[in-house]
Amino acid sequence: MTDDVALTATDLRRSYGDVTALDGVSIDVPTDSVTALIGPNGSGKTTLLEVLLGIERPDAGTVDYAESDAGRRVGYLPQRPTFRPDDTVRETIAFYAALVEDDPDRLLERVGLDTVPDRRVSALSGGMTRLLGIAQALAGDPPILALDEPASGLDPAVSDRIFGVVDSLAADGRAVLLTSHALSLVERTADHVVVVEAGGVAARGSPAALCERTGGPLHETFVDLLSEPTAAVGGGGES
Amino acid sequence: MTRPLDRFWTVFGREVRGLVRTRVVFVLGAVVAALAFGVARAGGGPSGGYVTTVVDLLVVVELLVPAAAFAIGYRALADATARGEPAVLETYPLSPWTYVAGVYAGRAVALLAVVVVPLLALGAHVATTAGPETTVLATHRGVDSVALYVRFVALTALLGLVTLAVALALSAVANSRRRAILLGLFGLLVVVAGTDVTVLTALGGGLLDESALGTVLALTPSGAYRGLVFEHVLSVAFEGRSGFVPTGIALVASLCWWASGLSLAALWAGFR
Repeated sequence: MTDDVALTATDLRRSYGDVTALDGVSIDVPTDSVTALIGPNGSGKTTLLEVLLGIERPDAGTVDYAESDAGRRVGYLPQRPTFRPDDTVRETIAFYAALVEDDPDRLLERVGLDTVPDRRVSALSGGMTRLLGIAQALAGDPPILALDEPASGLDPAVSDRIFGVVDSLAADGRAVLLTSHALSLVERTADHVVVVEAGGVAARGSPAALCERTGGPLHETFVDLLSEPTAAVGGGGES
Repeated sequence: MTRPLDRFWTVFGREVRGLVRTRVVFVLGAVVAALAFGVARAGGGPSGGYVTTVVDLLVVVELLVPAAAFAIGYRALADATARGEPAVLETYPLSPWTYVAGVYAGRAVALLAVVVVPLLALGAHVATTAGPETTVLATHRGVDSVALYVRFVALTALLGLVTLAVALALSAVANSRRRAILLGLFGLLVVVAGTDVTVLTALGGGLLDESALGTVLALTPSGAYRGLVFEHVLSVAFEGRSGFVPTGIALVASLCWWASGLSLAALWAGFR
């Protein structure tokens, strides 16, 4: 882990009509590490991720990326990656790789799908589809990877494998930013945790530091934090 | 770093591969061929020559080609949106214009194969069955020729390409397959009949002067197509009659429909 920052967001605000999705969120995403955004459903995690990616525009605030020579600035794995069902695994990844002059075989090998290059996407399991999505996110070797719920809906063994891949991606020198409800895996894999609640940051720190609050696992701290009436602190409140 | 042209070919290649794999092109091609040959033979056009064949085909083609264009294009962008692909592609150095151009070009190749190949096959059939008065080039009015038939095929391809651009625009607006079907049917109705009906209603209501009818009809995709076919293919059969539509206006109007369709598709894809 280094102290280099791949992405800095300052005072992000985003509303949809009367609903405030982000209320003055500031966040740094360091390189060589996994940063996890956790929070209840509808807390603003996905909106924050999409604003950091540039998919959504904030109403106010800025997002600054570190300089990079990579083919693309950010790689993105959506919550439910879906590909053309009739294409094979290799055809699918070759399409994305060609857009950024990458090697599709390298990408498949990186996530362990090089053994099934001719399998149709429609015949892939949920976990394999997620791995194909991660391979897509890696195309062009972006310095930042944003993964939205990379293990949702998967069985524990597959979730474990996905988080293993995620961990190794950060070890390669990338900044990995993910959202997840799999708190035990987050506790084991993440270097930094940001608790998002009601569009603001309720707490942040390393998993160990957050667990010290209750002395139990991250899950307990999470429940404890959300039971506090004024959990969310706009403008990037610290724990 | 890849160039925009390389990325265009990447998108184009994926479209062509996808269409070939779903076999929709082969089914549509077979339907177009069966209808074109069936209608022409029922009307007896092929034995009379190219112009009589065009007379037999015109009404059918005017419905069939837009239908084929919408069948090929109505899901072109809607499926990608339903899969959440635009959000992923936004992280790549791929502009909405390049993406839409690649999708359009891939689908256009498929459409041209579906429409042009059966019509050329029918042309070859006419060449072997028509009477001796059919020539290669029409040197004066009243002379049938293969050149007239080639013009008909070219104008039909133009109608298809314009309609496909409109279909792509509607597909960009749709964000689900169901909405894509509804918008596709709506678009087909507008292209095939809606614009003509609007013009004729305006004429009946006194909103439009009869002398301007040809010009106004030339502004619609089907009206422009029909007018150009009369003007540049069937006019040999009308002694002393021409000026069905102003050619320049009909071509510019078709170009505008085409460019507007693709621009709307790209802008909408970018807006997401």
